[in-house]
Amino acid sequence: MPTPPTTTPTPVPEHRVDSMTLLRDLVEDSLDEGYARAAARRAAEPDGGPRARGRGVLLVVGLVAVGLLLATAYAQTRSRAGSAEQAHSSLIATVQQKEHANDREQLRLDRLRTSVQRDQQQSLALTSAGRDLAARLGRLESSTGTGAVEGPGMVVQIADAGPSGDGSDVDPRTGEADQGRVTDRDLQTLVNEVWAAGAEAVAVNGQRLTVLSAIRSAGDAVLVDFRPLNPPYTLRAVGPDTMRTTFAAGFGGSYLQVLQGYGITSSVEDSDRLQLPASAGVSLRYAEVPAPSRPRPDRTGATGGSSAGASSGSSR
Amino acid sequence: MIAAVGLVLGIVVGLFLEPTVPTWLQPYLPIAVVAALDAVFGGVRALLDGIFNDKVFVVSFVSNVLVAALIVYLGDQLGVGTQLSTGVVVVLGIRIFANAAAIRRQLFKA
Repeated sequence: MPTPPTTTPTPVPEHRVDSMTLLRDLVEDSLDEGYARAAARRAAEPDGGPRARGRGVLLVVGLVAVGLLLATAYAQTRSRAGSAEQAHSSLIATVQQKEHANDREQLRLDRLRTSVQRDQQQSLALTSAGRDLAARLGRLESSTGTGAVEGPGMVVQIADAGPSGDGSDVDPRTGEADQGRVTDRDLQTLVNEVWAAGAEAVAVNGQRLTVLSAIRSAGDAVLVDFRPLNPPYTLRAVGPDTMRTTFAAGFGGSYLQVLQGYGITSSVEDSDRLQLPASAGVSLRYAEVPAPSRPRPDRTGATGGSSAGASSGSSR
Repeated sequence: MIAAVGLVLGIVVGLFLEPTVPTWLQPYLPIAVVAALDAVFGGVRALLDGIFNDKVFVVSFVSNVLVAALIVYLGDQLGVGTQLSTGVVVVLGIRIFANAAAIRRQLFKA
């Protein structure tokens, strides 16, 4: 320490200075002591000239080393960040690839299903009993959701509240903080109300609801038949003309109004012509060879009341 | 002048060659950089004070880097590597700040 503490003549704060000595040293003697000593030494011996050249080289070497270190650290950090980004983007690419493959398979499944249906209709059309059976099958398929349906109906649209959606403090639906979000429970209630209003077929975001469909949630996503939906949600329902007024006058309409209180926007509109696809999620579970004598139409078991159990799971 | 050329040369060489740092050396690189910055700021301050000495500068640079790396290495072996790195960064950071403040006072008289 070359500078004696002449600046503090009062002896009172002495022990406090001692306790702070580490920080004081750090802040006040931040310059390396060696410089002062070297300067003093040079002042003592008058001529340092002949070594000046060699020391210039030393300085350059040292600074090259400093620059090298800085650049290496920079390159290192950059390459590490780059590799993390690379891994991220490759993961994204894999996900997208899988999604594409999934879509392709789904398309192929749809094509195969249509061809099976066509073959079925063709073979059934050979006999009159078969034609009866075909008509019955068509009815059952449209009401269970395994056949495509076309007709007049209504469209209900629900969208999450914006990020600044303000609601009250307590959310009676979920009890959670994120209130402006449409939950699976909301969709279940609305779909049940649409069924109750007389709908014959319902699809949510293009996903046809069958008698076995479930509207669930995983995390924040709403799933229909275990396939995630993206908001906003669109309920399309084929049904009688009175459906919209029945729905709006019933619990469904008031439920939408309640949701509006949380910033969830919705709209209900009539539509002249809706095309609902067949559900992709139904597999054959039970089959029997019909009795050879004559097919009994009321034995195959399907009860017509498909509308009741559309959204399985927890409807209050 | 020649010093600036050396620094720029080192940076350019480092950027072009992009030398690969062995894995066992990688944890010490950030600490080494902080130590090197401390030496550089100290050197600049000494230069402005008129007492710069290149030998002192080079020796302080090398020893700063080595000691900082050694401390972190010891800490790693003892299981307190992150804490010791924090300590080294705090101490060197304070010195860098103090030196930068002195340089600022010299340059701008403020």
